[in-house]
Amino acid sequence: MRFLHLVRRNAWRKPLRTVLLISCVTVAFLIFGLTASFINGAQGSAGASNDLLAVMNAAGRTQPLPMAYMTRIASEPGVASVAYMTRLRGYVNVEKNVVAVSAAEPKLIAGVNGKELGLTPELVSALGETRDRVLVGQALAEAQGWSVGQRITVTAFQTARKDGSRDWRFEIAGIFDGENANTDTYFMLASYDYINTARARGADTVDAFIVRPAAGVSPGILAARIDALFANSATPTRTQSEKQFLEAFLRQYADVGLIINLVVGAAFVTLLMIVVNTMVFAVRERTFEIGVLKTLGFSSGRILMLVLGETLLIFAVGGTLGLILAKVATVLAGPALGLVLSTVVLAKAVSIIVVLGLSTGLIPAVNAMRTPITAAFRAR
Amino acid sequence: MTDRHAKEPYIILRDVRKGYRIGGEAIPIFANLDLEIPRGDFVAIMGPSGSGKSTLLNMLAGVESPDAGEIKIGSARLDRMGETARSAWRAHNMGIVFQFYNLLPMLSAAENVELPLLLKPIPAKERRIRVGKVLDLVGLAGREKQYPTLMSGGQQQRVGIARAIVADPDLLLCDEPTGDLDRNSADDVLDMLRLLNRELGKSIVMVTHDPQAALYARRTLHLDKGRFVEKKRAA
Repeated sequence: MRFLHLVRRNAWRKPLRTVLLISCVTVAFLIFGLTASFINGAQGSAGASNDLLAVMNAAGRTQPLPMAYMTRIASEPGVASVAYMTRLRGYVNVEKNVVAVSAAEPKLIAGVNGKELGLTPELVSALGETRDRVLVGQALAEAQGWSVGQRITVTAFQTARKDGSRDWRFEIAGIFDGENANTDTYFMLASYDYINTARARGADTVDAFIVRPAAGVSPGILAARIDALFANSATPTRTQSEKQFLEAFLRQYADVGLIINLVVGAAFVTLLMIVVNTMVFAVRERTFEIGVLKTLGFSSGRILMLVLGETLLIFAVGGTLGLILAKVATVLAGPALGLVLSTVVLAKAVSIIVVLGLSTGLIPAVNAMRTPITAAFRAR
Repeated sequence: MTDRHAKEPYIILRDVRKGYRIGGEAIPIFANLDLEIPRGDFVAIMGPSGSGKSTLLNMLAGVESPDAGEIKIGSARLDRMGETARSAWRAHNMGIVFQFYNLLPMLSAAENVELPLLLKPIPAKERRIRVGKVLDLVGLAGREKQYPTLMSGGQQQRVGIARAIVADPDLLLCDEPTGDLDRNSADDVLDMLRLLNRELGKSIVMVTHDPQAALYARRTLHLDKGRFVEKKRAA
């Protein structure tokens, strides 16, 4: 028998109570795992870059910018490369099956953002072969069950063709996968020329310019300089990092991060109270036995470790189960949700397990530690 | 037991004072209590309820501190030790046998016996060997995996004795060790204590209400009104 064995036996003396406690912890860490995966995943902004800059219309992200800005931005000192892009949102087959198409000049977008998106020279070349070709992100391809060579039709919500139709037909030229698991790949990459030539309105305008700053250039300072270029023009710009842009985009609906933190925080505070309350009673029930252990020579420190070890064990088992379930859920949820349970999330979860395990055990452990042997023996 | 053991003072109480305060009223238990017990002795302490037998045993175990006076066991001054030091001292020098056995119900017999060894830097294999030996000594070989709730009172007390001696302490304190047992089981337990005293030289202090139990000791001290009255008998 080892000390840990004694801890385990203590925790398991009332199996139902322990199972219920572990279940509470499991559910709390399942919630944490899923919400953290959401924030960390492709739906959140964790995977977005702080280095890439997006130059958009200061009046709003739906307002276009003139293509003529391209040359001025490209000639600004500190700009390593720049690409332009326009977005087309629509659906495939049914309206709720929403997809996004980013139309860009293939070589330019590959030069700015190709590494992060996993755009190989072969994919870029394949996209440029004919104008109606698209590259489909891995997450989108998986979710839709699409394959290379397949022809698809996207019905745009707003972008109409010159013939009045809003149906845009594409041939899938390839599938790109992001550099990291949390890279958003739930979209298609089309040729700007195809969209620009065929659309009824907004010719030669773009939704955004994507800028990669040169090495050693501060993205924040460069963003301010780019905005200063167009400050007195008819169409002033607002330049943000990709991460800032995504965070602002998500905040249009709600402060997702804050809501998630509040939900997780409430779950953990509730859990803390349940476990502390249960452990206080559990330890009080065995006050007499603690007196026996002290009489045998167990020091107050060992008694403290015994109780803390018990809560830590409950949190370790429950937390691990919760994280395993969260991992399974992220796999089963499919790519559309873009959940990513990364090592950073796991490391954070382990830290929370340790902190909660110790903090919930502290009150009962200190009570047990301080109980005099004579008082403990009177508790029988 | 050797003569050297018999003559060496092992437990010394000098001028010990102890009292309790209940509802603002001071209730004295001992006033200037003196006691010497030689190493290897087997002493029974008897006395009426409320005479302070348990308080004395608690002080000898370092569970309670005297209000004044000196308590020395071997070279250790218990009255000067802090709680942590007294815990460490108990772990290495003393075994205790309780009236109601006080075994941990979620541990098997062997695991209960092994508890004091967890406090010492002894490898697991060596611990298992020692547990096996003491369980064999108390006649419980083969019952290592049995849980206390499935044992008779006598068997549980044997486990309690095994737990008390597994760390090979010099001193055994027994608090009414036969108080919850039938006569036959009580005699078995007392035979065992006598064996530990005579064959292994353990010093034993036993608090008991049972005059029959006291007959197993080398001498009996009667505690009355905070003072000892000794009745010597042939060993």
